[in-house]
Amino acid sequence: MEKIIVCVKAVPDLRSVKVDPETHTLRRDSADLLLNPHDAPAIELAMRLKERLGVEVVVLTMGPPNASSVLRRVYSLGADRLILLSDRAFAGSDTLATSKVLAKALEKLSPFSLVLMGLKSIDGETAQVPPETAVLLGIPSVTNVRNISVENGVFILERVTDYGIEELEVAPPLVVSVTTKLDYIRPPSLKRLLKEREVEVTIWNAETLRLSQEEVGLRGSPTQVASVFEKTISSKGEIWEGPPEELSERLIELLRQKGFLKS
Amino acid sequence: MSEIIYAYGEFFDRKLHPGSLEILTPLRDIASALNKKVALLILSSSLEEVKNCEDIERADCDEVHLVVHESLHHVRDDLYGRVLAQIIRQKNPFGVFFPATHQGSSLAPRVAGELQVGLCAHVNGFTLKEGNLYMLRPTYGDNIIAELYSKSRPIMATLSLGAFSIREGKRAPRVVMIDLPKDFNWESKIRVRRAIKVKREPNRLSIAKVVVAGGLGLKTKENFQKLFELASLLEGEVGATRPVCHAGWVDEGRMIGVSGVSVRPKLYIGFGISGSIQHTVGIENSEFIVAVNIDKEAPLVKIANVALIADAGKVLDTLIKKLSRSSQSEL
Ligand SMILES: Cc1cc2nc3c(=O)[nH]c(=O)nc-3n(C[C@H](O)[C@H](O)[C@H](O)COP(=O)(O)OP(=O)(O)OC[C@H]3O[C@@H](n4cnc5c(N)ncnc54)[C@H](O)[C@@H]3O)c2cc1C
Ligand SMILES: Nc1ncnc2c1ncn2[C@@H]1O[C@H](COP(=O)(O)O)[C@@H](O)[C@H]1O
Repeated sequence: MEKIIVCVKAVPDLRSVKVDPETHTLRRDSADLLLNPHDAPAIELAMRLKERLGVEVVVLTMGPPNASSVLRRVYSLGADRLILLSDRAFAGSDTLATSKVLAKALEKLSPFSLVLMGLKSIDGETAQVPPETAVLLGIPSVTNVRNISVENGVFILERVTDYGIEELEVAPPLVVSVTTKLDYIRPPSLKRLLKEREVEVTIWNAETLRLSQEEVGLRGSPTQVASVFEKTISSKGEIWEGPPEELSERLIELLRQKGFLKS
Repeated sequence: MSEIIYAYGEFFDRKLHPGSLEILTPLRDIASALNKKVALLILSSSLEEVKNCEDIERADCDEVHLVVHESLHHVRDDLYGRVLAQIIRQKNPFGVFFPATHQGSSLAPRVAGELQVGLCAHVNGFTLKEGNLYMLRPTYGDNIIAELYSKSRPIMATLSLGAFSIREGKRAPRVVMIDLPKDFNWESKIRVRRAIKVKREPNRLSIAKVVVAGGLGLKTKENFQKLFELASLLEGEVGATRPVCHAGWVDEGRMIGVSGVSVRPKLYIGFGISGSIQHTVGIENSEFIVAVNIDKEAPLVKIANVALIADAGKVLDTLIKKLSRSSQSEL
């Protein structure tokens, strides 16, 4: 088995982030960044495989320079190598442009046996990046996987669909996105936490990845925001104040009048 | 000119996913405005399965484009993605749209990646301006909607579940069989060892007449659980906000909003929900909205027909007490 690569996203902490009043996008440069919570299960599955297979786990993120702090946090969870894909030219990438950058980095890291990703990011929440990256690499993808094992050099995946559970067999390499919930997720190791600040983060930019400015970022993104507008709310409703008991009674009375209650 | 607009028909166990029928509604309107036709694109392993399917006969589209091949028995994303991309190359459609189901959200990016075209997510509305199609989606900031367009063709997007209501077609659509080139590679790198059908409790949230939903203002999982009691007293369903699902108070299938489902009940009651746009886009088709919140300025309070300014947990408790008393007295 070759190495395993986990792609994680540094997402803005919604409590600290500011919204750009012009574009209504998140101001990522000023925000505190967190590990996308849905990527934790992907890291956990990588660590379980590492224990069994003894393979190297490389963690990759595309983001602003301060995303390196998020990568270091993943080091404390057991990652062996950290790589940050960062370049001004990457800013404003939609899912296609993001997937192109990730695919280029993954090609550079090949051979690998498995790429693990979260099901979705909490800021973009598209779930598009894992399958899109896979297809750009010309390899299969399986989404929403809750368990991975290995038999005779082949991955056995348990995938949750809207209709049930599938047990799939796929030979490496492939891309897998992991369910948002797992039975167990390990805490960071104390020993590694103490070394977090010292570990090296490799930085690759557009040039390292041989990507032109036209292919990535806002310019390389086929989907564009034409405009943003405010939805007007007509607040014509009534406001009731008082003790909860009284308000509940009034509400029941109203629901009855409106026919929402049987009697 | 390209003249077809495709809707992906998610087909399983002789049934179309309701999401596939929902998305036909706006696509039909766009098609008539732009003088194009809407086709439902269905991949299946057996013609028998698709024949005589009532869902298909009643679908509001001009045509059903069918690809039938034994290799399509299981949905293997690499193969399905390649088949869809091949058809798109053959038919050169104006747009290709998927319901934001698990399957739709997995296949759409494989197709978009293969064709190297843009793909929008969470679209819950459209506008047409001078023949150009814009897609709407809530975005960051208070009550802000973004209008998106795609520089590439076909235009592609996944559409939010429940955002559009199903309309029945006037006449059964014409069925067109699609043939792929003789040398088409039907192989998949994915082998299905077992597929276990799970009979899940069907989530009736999107069609419920009454929805009682809870947010972080309910404070605890225990409080949230009480919503199920209220829901059964009102013969309704329980909904939730995203942070409540992430906190593990309830399954993600109950999430209402841009990343979950849209509801259209006669009555919606929101307990301790602020009403950010990512949530409220999912409730705007409710007939009557009640908000329970301690904050008079909360957006949901402003949208609501009636807002109760009070502790959500307490109001929930008293509602349950009073309603169960009155339903007992009926016996
Ligand atoms: C890409 C993206 C997609 C998203 N998709 C969704 C989605 O699909 N669905 C969704 O719901 N959210 C979604 N969100 C999150 C959304 O923006 C809000 O953060 C979320 O809806 C807020 O949930 P809430 O109302 O439960 O919590 P809060 O915003 O924290 O609101 C809690 C409310 O409870 C009130 N409160 C506090 N104490 C009490 C009390 N004792 N009694 C009564 N009221 C009280 C407060 O005044 C406040 O109004 C998304 C966000 C992003 C970035
Ligand atoms: N900028 C990024 N860098 C690395 N991985 C990413 C990035 N964006 C998305 N991903 C991966 O793709 C998954 C799905 O993200 P999304 O498509 O944005 O919902 C995430 O959970 C990550 O694993």
